[in-house]
Amino acid sequence: MVGEALSTAGLALAVVAVMIGGTYVAAVLDVLFTRLTMRVAVRPLAAAALPLRRAAQLALQRRTLTERPDAGTWALAPAVLAALAAVSLAVVPLTGTLIPVEADTGIVVFAAAMALVVVAVYLQGWSPNSPLSLVAAYRFVAEGLSYEIPFAVVLIGTALPARSLALVPIVTSQEHLWNVIRQPLGLPVYLITVLALSFWGPLALPEGQDVAGGTSLELSGVPRLLWRVAQLNVLVAVSAMGAAVFLGGWLGPWLPGGVWMALKTLFLLALLVASRQFFARVRTESFVVVAWTVLTPLALVDVFLAGIQAMVAAR
Amino acid sequence: MVVRSILARLAKKAPVPVFLISGIGGDEITDRLRLDDRLHVTDSPRPAMILMIAGRLTSDLKYAALQVHDQMAEPRAVVRWSPAERDPAAEVFPHFVAVDAVAAAAAATLAAAAVNTRDDLLAGSFPSSPPLLPDVEPNPWRGVGPWGQGGTGMTGGVPYGRPLPERAKDRDGLQLDQLLMRVGPFLPALPEGLILEVRLQGDVIQDVTVGANPFVEEAVPDSEEEELPAFPGPADLAPFLASLRVPVAVAELELARARHHLRWLGHALRVHGLAALGRRVLALSARVHSQGAGSSNALGSAEVVELRRSLERNFTLAWATRGIGRLSGDQLAALDGGPVARAAGIERDERCADPAYLALGFKPVVYAGGDALARWRLRLHEAEQSLRLAETAGNSMTTVTGTAEGPTGPLGRGPGPSSRLLPLLPELLTGLEWGDAVTTLLSLDLDLREAALTPPGSGVAPAWAW
Repeated sequence: MVGEALSTAGLALAVVAVMIGGTYVAAVLDVLFTRLTMRVAVRPLAAAALPLRRAAQLALQRRTLTERPDAGTWALAPAVLAALAAVSLAVVPLTGTLIPVEADTGIVVFAAAMALVVVAVYLQGWSPNSPLSLVAAYRFVAEGLSYEIPFAVVLIGTALPARSLALVPIVTSQEHLWNVIRQPLGLPVYLITVLALSFWGPLALPEGQDVAGGTSLELSGVPRLLWRVAQLNVLVAVSAMGAAVFLGGWLGPWLPGGVWMALKTLFLLALLVASRQFFARVRTESFVVVAWTVLTPLALVDVFLAGIQAMVAAR
Repeated sequence: MVVRSILARLAKKAPVPVFLISGIGGDEITDRLRLDDRLHVTDSPRPAMILMIAGRLTSDLKYAALQVHDQMAEPRAVVRWSPAERDPAAEVFPHFVAVDAVAAAAAATLAAAAVNTRDDLLAGSFPSSPPLLPDVEPNPWRGVGPWGQGGTGMTGGVPYGRPLPERAKDRDGLQLDQLLMRVGPFLPALPEGLILEVRLQGDVIQDVTVGANPFVEEAVPDSEEEELPAFPGPADLAPFLASLRVPVAVAELELARARHHLRWLGHALRVHGLAALGRRVLALSARVHSQGAGSSNALGSAEVVELRRSLERNFTLAWATRGIGRLSGDQLAALDGGPVARAAGIERDERCADPAYLALGFKPVVYAGGDALARWRLRLHEAEQSLRLAETAGNSMTTVTGTAEGPTGPLGRGPGPSSRLLPLLPELLTGLEWGDAVTTLLSLDLDLREAALTPPGSGVAPAWAW
């Protein structure tokens, strides 16, 4: 009994460690990419310290209140977002043996948790009772369904070769060929939809400059810090899942499985973080149209082809 | 206490979060402040520790500055620099750090003062600025319960004396609530000083009212107070206004034009989500400025060519601006030239009438699209063209004709370009989504300081003679 509790605590600690470590790495990568884009000197030590310094500054700032906010839901929003990221990350196998939560329907749990991100973002935008923040929240709800469908469909595509919704079989099914090659449409669609889901870079629609930061417009101090951390938590979770279901997870020669998983996650995390240096923020309406007319059909083609491959392989 | 001390030590080397307010005479300084690594300019007052005021505040800007101040989280402080000896800002901010420096050194001195003040705030040796506006509800509370329930109507009637949202048909014919929102004059995405009252359904604009220009000084008849210095107009326009009266070096004008377009581009890129690239462009515009007129080497034209190519290949930028903010034929006719008209295929440029430009083989840049994308491309192209003209112009001087082609349009003939554009906004913005409205406003390159030179009702402003 005690051993089981200790094992559970250890696995929970592993999830927390990956979330904290990944979030810090994402913040440092963002500083590095920003300075490279600005074409100013990059000092690695200063870049590594900057996220901590900014966090300390926010921690020393008091939070502000707006006129008649819904204080309860406002405080809850970052916690909900971070919790959803933690649940999503918990089902991702970090190595062949280190699997925080081994669920038979791991990929469904992940997609379900990520689908609820829209609730956390809406709470964050609606609660302060502030017009621009509310407009930003509307935007996220408006685009919600359009990115969630292709997101879920390409995830289902990765489950077909494994004939399982559990993540360990999905990773091991890529022993000979990773899904990124077997299902070439899957990873691009996944990366675009997770940018929308984590409201980052070109798809930071609820946090755009045109709405002065939108859902985080009214945030200061610790709540702002928590919201930023929670957003990066989501980026880490979707990168880890992308590494597991498209890049073969822990599989790879010479290096230990955990190192392969970390490198693949870091690769996807860097791609996602860097996107905001290259792509302008897109219009909500344009994105919704593209999501329905391009991404969803591509995702359906992807899952259709994956199904045919799985049938052929089964014979 | 130990944790706080560790955090304070860590925070001391972080960039200071500042919210920038630019008053009269502060427009160039705010650009330099954005380039200072010691500062982090925030989009919202909430996370800012320092309210930084560069320039003199008019009476309309003062109240808005107080509202911004009270929205900032504590600990907070005000750091300000003013070009005028008498500064009305001093009357509204009882505690502030005044920076005394000439304009050229103001940005560096302001940044240093912000760092020191932040450190003192964190150490507790400088008191946080208290709220300056009364902490009362804007309208009396008329509800019965804590959430507005218990009054009349489904959700408690009008608990704050404000009616429930009005309902009206949206573009699909559905009855939806309308949200009334007042933005400006310090919303960073909008042109400085622009105030809009907007009625939204979702994020679609139902109607727009443009507020009074806060850069227009209130005339105080028979005032015994000492007169404030005359409003000099935006710093960018100075050489163009001078060219209305005396010959000015073509190179100087073209460098000023290139610099203006690059400043605009830096700001526009930031609003479109490319903040780091925007800062790089702003740094480029500052370098163009520092080269001085007449120098023929390394004015930055190669960098601008590279920038233009990379931005023209950026499909997300094209996606965000294509087809947005098209003006009708009547609206374009009202503009009487300028970049916005040239981006819609109207080949009109005051420089075509100047022998100095004709001798340089000048031909105006014209685009056909008429949308925000065409305006982006035209300004990039014009920045490149201006740098080339500056390189080849040598010592040639303009001819005084009473008009000049400013960076935003023709000057000296009737109202200025921004004064012509402002009345078009309600018609132009109605029906757009909020994000598209911001894209449109950005692409028009409105300058409320320039509009203050020819305020409505003033006729052809004598300000052109300044």
